[in-house]
Amino acid sequence: MAGEFSVDDDPAAATLHRVTEVLPAGPARIEAARRVWLDTPDWNLFRAGLLLEQRTAGSERRLLLCGLDGTVLCQAPAPRRTITNATLPEGPLRDKILPLLDIRALLPRLEAEGSTAQVAVLDEVEKTVARVTVDGPFLAVGASAPVSQVRVETLRGYDKEAKQVGAKLAALAGLRPARGSVFAALAATAGVQPGRHRAKPEPTFTATTPALTAFAQTLGQLEEITRDNLAGTLAELDTEFLHDLRVAVRRGRSVLKMAGGVYDEATLTRYGAELKWIGDATSNARDLDVNLLDFGAGLDATDVAAIGPYRALLERRCRRAHSTLNRVLRSERFTTLLTNWQADLGHPTAGGELATTPISTVAHNLLDRAWTRVGKRGRAITVDSPADDLHDLRKRCKERRYLLEFFAGLYDKAVYKAFLDELKRLQDNLGAFQDAEAQWFLVRECAEELRATAPIDTLLAMGRLAHDLRLRQEHEHDVFAATWARFYDKANRARFAAMVAGT
Amino acid sequence: MKVLASYSIKGGVGKTTAATNLAWLAAAEGRRVLLWDLDPQGGATFLFRVAPKVKGGGKALVDGKLDLLDAVKASDFDHLDLLPADFSYRHMDLWLDSQRRPTKRLGSLLDSMQEEYDLVIMDCAPSVSLTSENIVRAADLILAPVQPSPLSMRTLDQLATFADDTKGRTPPILAFLSMVDRRRKLHRDLADAVPTGRVELARTVIPAAAAVEQMGLRRAPVVQWAPRSTAGRAYASLWREVADRVK
Repeated sequence: MAGEFSVDDDPAAATLHRVTEVLPAGPARIEAARRVWLDTPDWNLFRAGLLLEQRTAGSERRLLLCGLDGTVLCQAPAPRRTITNATLPEGPLRDKILPLLDIRALLPRLEAEGSTAQVAVLDEVEKTVARVTVDGPFLAVGASAPVSQVRVETLRGYDKEAKQVGAKLAALAGLRPARGSVFAALAATAGVQPGRHRAKPEPTFTATTPALTAFAQTLGQLEEITRDNLAGTLAELDTEFLHDLRVAVRRGRSVLKMAGGVYDEATLTRYGAELKWIGDATSNARDLDVNLLDFGAGLDATDVAAIGPYRALLERRCRRAHSTLNRVLRSERFTTLLTNWQADLGHPTAGGELATTPISTVAHNLLDRAWTRVGKRGRAITVDSPADDLHDLRKRCKERRYLLEFFAGLYDKAVYKAFLDELKRLQDNLGAFQDAEAQWFLVRECAEELRATAPIDTLLAMGRLAHDLRLRQEHEHDVFAATWARFYDKANRARFAAMVAGT
Repeated sequence: MKVLASYSIKGGVGKTTAATNLAWLAAAEGRRVLLWDLDPQGGATFLFRVAPKVKGGGKALVDGKLDLLDAVKASDFDHLDLLPADFSYRHMDLWLDSQRRPTKRLGSLLDSMQEEYDLVIMDCAPSVSLTSENIVRAADLILAPVQPSPLSMRTLDQLATFADDTKGRTPPILAFLSMVDRRRKLHRDLADAVPTGRVELARTVIPAAAAVEQMGLRRAPVVQWAPRSTAGRAYASLWREVADRVK
């Protein structure tokens, strides 16, 4: 792109006129347009350097995939007014973005209305050697100030000509170099921060911050993250909204468990119970989501076909579970919880006896205790240990992980990362063990329900699935010893000690 | 990336009009298309108003001294680029002959475009030569226009023999009837007698139409400025048949 210019207080028609006066341009194509930029909740496309725009002009709807500077990479007719992952038209555009979306939903992230005029800059044989687009005025939803910009598009093989066009426009009064694309300008006016997504708290406290301030900052952000994911969970836009909501609640619960002495006991007891209640309410829907996301993994094509009735049953259960969860999320109790959470935990007026203790002291004690708990449980596990022991260790590791992430800013980044990586490895092992067991129970329970109605092939395939899950679980149990030994070895313990000592 | 060659041993049968119209239709669907005008006459280059010149000449391209992408010019249409003709292409066989793998050189040059384009359409000069061998080896599909004339039909058989005799995998050949005037008995008779034993014959027939001749004056594909004309609809229909084969 050879140039992007902001327009100072000039009507679009006047800007277009001035542009075409200084350039050998073809007729202008002017259209009133509604522009909707689509992306995932966590901006997967933007982070990959792409903008997906649905542009509606009259009865024509187009999807344009652009670079961040607005250069169109490919486009396709938009088949519907509402574009979702499932309604993306087949073709190169879909092929390019579908892998980037992963399991996240495509949602409108920025909307604006206004007009666009495009002219082709021609050479002596009337070949287009550059394109100039006058965008605007466009007004974004939620913005009060309109945006007008002029953009020079460089065409492959005609860089020199585009530079000349850019130079001519730069000399025009009222045009000044823009700071970014029209998308960036519109986003700024609408208060949208492209690329900004917070799935976990981003605390900014330091070692000397009073403990209550640090806990309050984190718990306040966790309430905001829970709220950010509420609408998407209720509307079941994708499975990650519920995942992020559930994790925020679980993090909150873990942080509260460690907040003895920082908050007053009554607050801790009340919110401990409330967060457990909401956490438990999300479990069934999330488990079924996970089952359906991974459904059929490891099965051959024949079994996937045979197992259809099992999938249908899971889908029915999942719908019911979400419906039950939605009733909870719409309940007065939950609304009250969210309202008071921010006030009581995010902005507390008083705390416990450790409220003013530096957070580093509190962190050190907490991590030490958590380390001891994990160590004790892990060392006690043998090849004969029941599954519950591994589940319990998994929960302790999860708490520990949340704590580490909570206090991440206090520690040396490299040591912290190395330690976290080891913890993640152990968690992966324990997670795979539990997933296999939970799925085994589910298959068994559903087989019981389907026994009278499902074809025999379905039940046989479910039997094979259950067998595979048992083998997977046994494998994870077998590798636990080595994983644990690596996690709890001398070097990693020394790493932990050095990390905490550094605060 | 798929490679489509619009190729015939005989000249003046509609290779360039097919290549340019199909390139436009593919690009209009959102495919990233490169049209390589390999004919020194530069018909496709002229139609897209691009200067028939490659910086450093065609030899620089074949020798690898000039990146293919650096020689590419955007057309006036979204997603459709052109690698222009150069009059020096008439020496293409000599340059290719001096390469290490002379019959694979054009194909290996195109490998560098994998990330840039979904479809490359080669508009080829009418000949049987080393360049033709390169085209056959590089193509995923050969699109062969056939005029309803005895000479043109004879060359279709020659093309099939040539493709078979060329080293490596033989790409499928999709022939189509081109420049057909249904009012003429000879055309009607010959159109029903295309030898299809060794090649596939497209259902679509491209008519002889004034609109196609006007492309040279308007310097744009007929499917762009007269999509509902008989010729425009015929090329659209041909593209649907071709698109199924170059997915």
